[in-house]
Amino acid sequence: MAVSRLSYLSIRALDLAASEKHYTQVVGLRVTGRAPGQVYLQAHESQDHHCIILNASDRAGLDHVGFKVNDPNDLNEAEVVAKEWGLKTRRVAAGVVMGQGEGLSIELPSGHIFNLFYHAEKVGYSYGMKDPDIILDDLEGIWPVTHLDHTLLAGNDVDKTAKFLREALDFNLTETIHGPDGQPFAFFMTVSNTIHNVAFAPGPPNSLHHIAFYVSDRADVIRRVDMLKHRKVATFDYGISRHGVAGVTTVYFHDPSGNRNEFQCGVYEASNVRDKIPPIVWAGENIPRGVFYYESAVLANFFEVVT
Amino acid sequence: MALLRRGIHRLGYARIAVKDLRLLKTRDFYANEMGLLETGIEPNRVMFRCWHEPYKFSFVVDQNENQGLVEIGLHVRDDLDLENFQQKLEAAGVKVQVAAADTELKGLGKSIAFDVPAGPRIRLFADIQQLGYVSGFEGPDWVAPKAIRGTAAPLNINHVAITSPDPERCSAFLADMLGFLTSEKIVDEKGKTISALLFRMAKNVGGQEIAIYPGAEVKLHHIAFTKEDSSDIMSDGYFLRSDGIELDLLGPLRQPYGNTFSVHFFDYCGVRLELCAVGRMTEVHPEIQPVVWSKSNLREALSYYDEALVPEEFFMPCL
Repeated sequence: MAVSRLSYLSIRALDLAASEKHYTQVVGLRVTGRAPGQVYLQAHESQDHHCIILNASDRAGLDHVGFKVNDPNDLNEAEVVAKEWGLKTRRVAAGVVMGQGEGLSIELPSGHIFNLFYHAEKVGYSYGMKDPDIILDDLEGIWPVTHLDHTLLAGNDVDKTAKFLREALDFNLTETIHGPDGQPFAFFMTVSNTIHNVAFAPGPPNSLHHIAFYVSDRADVIRRVDMLKHRKVATFDYGISRHGVAGVTTVYFHDPSGNRNEFQCGVYEASNVRDKIPPIVWAGENIPRGVFYYESAVLANFFEVVT
Repeated sequence: MALLRRGIHRLGYARIAVKDLRLLKTRDFYANEMGLLETGIEPNRVMFRCWHEPYKFSFVVDQNENQGLVEIGLHVRDDLDLENFQQKLEAAGVKVQVAAADTELKGLGKSIAFDVPAGPRIRLFADIQQLGYVSGFEGPDWVAPKAIRGTAAPLNINHVAITSPDPERCSAFLADMLGFLTSEKIVDEKGKTISALLFRMAKNVGGQEIAIYPGAEVKLHHIAFTKEDSSDIMSDGYFLRSDGIELDLLGPLRQPYGNTFSVHFFDYCGVRLELCAVGRMTEVHPEIQPVVWSKSNLREALSYYDEALVPEEFFMPCL
């Protein structure tokens, strides 16, 4: 069948304790597992085991990205097609990543590792799965993020990478940013009805541009910017903004290792019926408005800084 | 292609019928209060879409003496999906109507329709006329068109709620035959399902495409449309009230059952409508776990704020 969701990002942390504090107290995730050199975290309103894995490391950046599939046989099918495309694959035994079943790792032309897997252990929503009182106590003054929404990755050969994901794994292309030569250089793709789950832009191999967490209300995004400023967490120069791309209300900030995070709220729907709706195109003078709608200007360090 | 999404991809449309010469009033309400865009008018029919939808229609109102929900339209990937569903349904003894393109509704491709036991009539289609986004595909200003600002102007159709004399049977059919999954359900003391929220999409609002509530007959309960967030629901509430529209269910509602923030009201013909925001993210995966509510906690499930809410009144159908 198909890839059913962006499940988690396994990232590197220079100081594991500082990163854990950031993802619990600033982002608002909960710790769901620990292993030597690793911390597993999940959003309060997500039911699988984790959406972030922190790995103690001597550098920042990405280890790998996890996507779920909705049929156990998808791993075999994806393995065959990845080999046809000349991509390296590797089986990951159940339990190697805590809380999940067997996986298939595919090394993409962009240098990123996508780990496909079928089974995730359920931790349930923080307030329980039966007759829940939906309001949580003891929060850090703001309503928690509900789930991991998307990631923007930077790498080489992103056009080939996007082509593989579209043609082999049925990702749906919803928006593109085009260069002066008229060719697309950034690709926004979805496996669901939300407008993007993963996007690719050119950059050094296997790089991370940002990890986006979903916030249900724009008012909560505003309060979160206030809180980031209050806690002296560095935000992107614009503070709060809106992307023309996907029409989301957004703020960017960094974790202690320098990995970029985003809080975002936006409900634009992707048609999700393959190839029925052409992608939105951002080109030329439209690009600044597409990237930062209010300011309609892109600061150079926005695309250049990756981990 | 190695992996392929199959089956139902999205809620396509809700189609209802109202009697008498109410279409003019209906056109007025949906254009000027709801802020939908009219995309088709025939002697006995009017079609609408939401401003963010690229397809021809998501809401169809027929003029017909048999007032009520006509059918729910669901979008599948391609003709192979249609053939597979037809085969599966007929093998299970379900009578399937096949309609050629443009015969049942103008702009709709080939479709198959059938009645769900203790449930609604469903029509599956793979093709629907595409009008494109109102703001185009080239660097769009993706905000509501000026002409409909100050109205509800929802972004998408979100879900259709019905009443059923046998919610368990209805939801089991939708699961077994059409691949629907359950995001939430309410069970009685014996564990029998008395209500369920079913989905095939994974979207940021609503967590359901079909909601099934208990009732004596299969009837329309409400049709819900997507709004950006809770603040929008509050302002929509006062726009509607300023035009004299009465709000149902004690005003804005935080509903733990589905975790939505919404407002309910009626159109001029008595059709209950909902504008909804928030909700739990769903995943089209066999292992997804539903939130389960006990019938004994019905009131708490239906409203977090309104202790005066009466579940029996909440479950009353509209058409």
